Amino acid sequence: MNYPIWFLPGTGGGLLIALISIMHVFVSHFAVGGGLYLIYAEKKGLKENSRPILDFTKRHARFFLLVTMVFGSISGVGIWFIIALVNPAATSLLIHNFVFGWAAEWVFFTVEIAAAFVYYYMFGRMDAKTHLLVGWLYFIAAWMSLLLINGIIGVMLTPGNWADSRDFWAGFFNPGFFPSLVFRTFLALTIAACYGFFSASFTADRKVRVAMTRFSAKWALVSLLAAIVSGFWYLSVLPGESYGLVLGKSPTIASLIPFTAGGVLSLLVLMLGAGILRPRLNLKPVACLAMLGALVVMGGFEWTREAARRPYVINQVMFANGILPKDMDRLNQNGYLKNALWVQNREVSGENLVAAGQELFIHQCYACHTVGGRNNDIVRLTGKMSYRALENYIKKIHEVRYFMPPFAGTGQEGRALAAYIAGGLHGKDVQDPVRTAEGKAAGLGLFEDNCSSCHAAEDLNGIFAGVAIEEIIGRLASLNEISDEMQPFTGTREEQELLAAFLKGEEQGEQPEKGTGGKAVFTTHCTMCHGVTDMKRRVANKERQELFSMLGRLEQLQRAMPPFRGTRQEREVLASFLATLGQGGK
Amino acid sequence: MAPLIIPQPDTIPVSWGWFQLLLLVTFPLHLLAMNAMLGGLAIGIVQQLRGGPLQRQLAHRIAIALPLVIAFVVNLGVAPLLFVQVLYGQFLYSSSVLMGVFWILIVPILILAYYGAYLYDFRFTRLGSAGPWVAVFSLFLLVLVGFFLSNNMLLMVTPERFGEYFAHRNGTLLSFGQPGFWPRFLHMLLGALAIGSLFVALLGRFGKAERPKLASHAEKVGMSCFLILTFFNILMGFWYLLSLPEELRRLFMGGNAGATTAFAVALLLMAGALIVTYRKKFWLAFFHAIGLVVVMTFMRSWLRSAYLRDVFTLDQLQVVPQYSPMIFFFVILAIGIVCLGWLMKKTREAYRLEQGNRQRLKN
Repeated sequence: MNYPIWFLPGTGGGLLIALISIMHVFVSHFAVGGGLYLIYAEKKGLKENSRPILDFTKRHARFFLLVTMVFGSISGVGIWFIIALVNPAATSLLIHNFVFGWAAEWVFFTVEIAAAFVYYYMFGRMDAKTHLLVGWLYFIAAWMSLLLINGIIGVMLTPGNWADSRDFWAGFFNPGFFPSLVFRTFLALTIAACYGFFSASFTADRKVRVAMTRFSAKWALVSLLAAIVSGFWYLSVLPGESYGLVLGKSPTIASLIPFTAGGVLSLLVLMLGAGILRPRLNLKPVACLAMLGALVVMGGFEWTREAARRPYVINQVMFANGILPKDMDRLNQNGYLKNALWVQNREVSGENLVAAGQELFIHQCYACHTVGGRNNDIVRLTGKMSYRALENYIKKIHEVRYFMPPFAGTGQEGRALAAYIAGGLHGKDVQDPVRTAEGKAAGLGLFEDNCSSCHAAEDLNGIFAGVAIEEIIGRLASLNEISDEMQPFTGTREEQELLAAFLKGEEQGEQPEKGTGGKAVFTTHCTMCHGVTDMKRRVANKERQELFSMLGRLEQLQRAMPPFRGTRQEREVLASFLATLGQGGK
Repeated sequence: MAPLIIPQPDTIPVSWGWFQLLLLVTFPLHLLAMNAMLGGLAIGIVQQLRGGPLQRQLAHRIAIALPLVIAFVVNLGVAPLLFVQVLYGQFLYSSSVLMGVFWILIVPILILAYYGAYLYDFRFTRLGSAGPWVAVFSLFLLVLVGFFLSNNMLLMVTPERFGEYFAHRNGTLLSFGQPGFWPRFLHMLLGALAIGSLFVALLGRFGKAERPKLASHAEKVGMSCFLILTFFNILMGFWYLLSLPEELRRLFMGGNAGATTAFAVALLLMAGALIVTYRKKFWLAFFHAIGLVVVMTFMRSWLRSAYLRDVFTLDQLQVVPQYSPMIFFFVILAIGIVCLGWLMKKTREAYRLEQGNRQRLKN
């Protein structure tokens, strides 16, 4: 609200940050670990008195220089540029608080550059001992850069006392400082080893290729295992909410886990198979695959770190959209638009509802949502929601989804935002529906008020068919047992009955679906959260017996799932139904 | 007139004077490296296109030095960019967003230019006649980066244009249409080429004993380019001065004692540089030029403050004091300088040993 927002509706700033930062950290961690790798590669060449290994080390040093000095250093500046463009408020806060930390990092960056140039250009032209010392100086300077940056950006995820005190040292030595430093150091060594593995695959001399492939693979395996262990340490110091997000409550992180795990696994397999056991298999495509694996691991980590901070950009201190939690009361009371800079609509009226809503969207939602883009497309995500549903959803957005910031502004501003999304983007009617106390309209109204932020009415069709009104009311009162993202419905008795009748489909004119077959059991017990297509993927190629067993321990499979509450017979027919689904049946 | 949109600045940990000092110390270093990069590359291209063994040798030597110089241009640009953000962040972040598309383009452009420079260096011989065109490509990209930087530096001090954000939410606003942009940019560019010429002369002096002809040629080319370019840049400078709004121009014409003194010193240094260059006194010309860059940095700083004085002065920045991080930085800086000194010493020793061995083999 303090700074202008660079609005690229179809692209989104988050994607740009991700692209630049993932590529940068992949190279910058190489710049750290690679220093140590070069020293030990050179020592190996000297110890074995091997000219070919020394030649390999020099070639690798040249590759190192080209990658780290050009791409690494410029993309580092690039991150600085892009975060300042996408989130100037957070960047400004960090720069002003930690300016001398950044400045000290700049000193090490300078030493790093000078040492890297001397190391490469004086390779073989200096006595070996001094040359190795130059290598050590490079590595120490690079690692100190990592240490300093780690302290500063660590505060974004684990701010500790800094959130209140803003004390430099409290922020720098935040709760995540040491675990993150150890984790990143091992990750840097893993990545450096992968680059060494890659370099080795380009070596024509077979003997050197085998020797340096094995050398690199040993580094990679040991450091990757150490990174995994320290990763768990890092995880253990995360604040409760972030910990929950990392363990699967964040859809972003949940979708990343298979990729990251795949990256780790592929690295383990490649380094063991084509590195240690059969180093001759380290051909260029294999090495490229290893690099891809390392990139995926690095990207997975960075993206997870980013998503684990939600709804904040600086945990507990600043929301992702740059709004400070301490300003919320003022903004809710006096209005966001009146207090924000860089807006044209200061008041919301009937005439500017959509235009004001667009400005509110740009200021409060665009930090994470694109309009018609690939990244969290607001058009796709709200396609099934009516104006009224949106209006209600906006009020309690942060309660329904922890990882989203609360809407800041008055009720009228909330309606303007809903009008922009429903009317401006979807072309839907943005008039308040005439509310009635009776019948279908009342049931629909209650549904929209309470359920439509997550569910479309058609998705729930048939779920409650055949279920008694009283039982539906009972389930509505214990929604939190189904998922901790839901809250029990707390309406009056009359409202409970109206909503239950609506859900049952009586007021939608539908015939209740009867039966105790697998599909009916699935409809009753699973479709609250799962669709058939989604379930097909989950149960693909699973045996009936395995599925039966899984149904008995759903809560252990995923924390968010409640235990299966049906009878044994229902569990049996459901397992059969799911097994059929998993084999491609319907 | 619509009210100006200016964000609230964040607090700073020590008095603004420290940051101003650090900015004034580090920015000239960046400028000198940038001048060496642009001037060196431009002269290298011309030398290679002209042909002749000495010209080719000089171009090759420039090509070898170029990646190192670019690395330090970037590195030395980081510190002043950091300190200027601390002092003027509310203006710089805003103007950067306003021209976001071009501002972020600097990154890929710089990467391309840098790889071009490495290609020019590592493949100097193999590139043959294509070499100068690779270098021209890099030079063009580097000038383009300078163009975008100049746009932002002018935009950030003209907050009256910030209201145009609403027509440029996608970050496409530039300031090259504003009065004063072109003389400012061209003054900077010509100055860079001129000072860079002296860098070429300096480069020729390395290994003077081994290649005296190359050293003499480099000095001759560098000094004469400096003389000619500086002469034209004086005219450009006056154009720039005249293009400034009157109240800002008056600052250097007696309106402000410090700014006027700095301007007078700059004129004296300029005259001195021209005279000693004409008399072929390299080191004197070199130090005059360095002095000139430092003084110009001071003048630039005055001008920026003057542009913004109606809406912001540095003493408005709120200090929440914490001095220990600054002390930590100065300690690290001292360690860093010692490390750089050690690297230079060891490199020089190894280089001398290598030269000695070569000489012995020759004998």
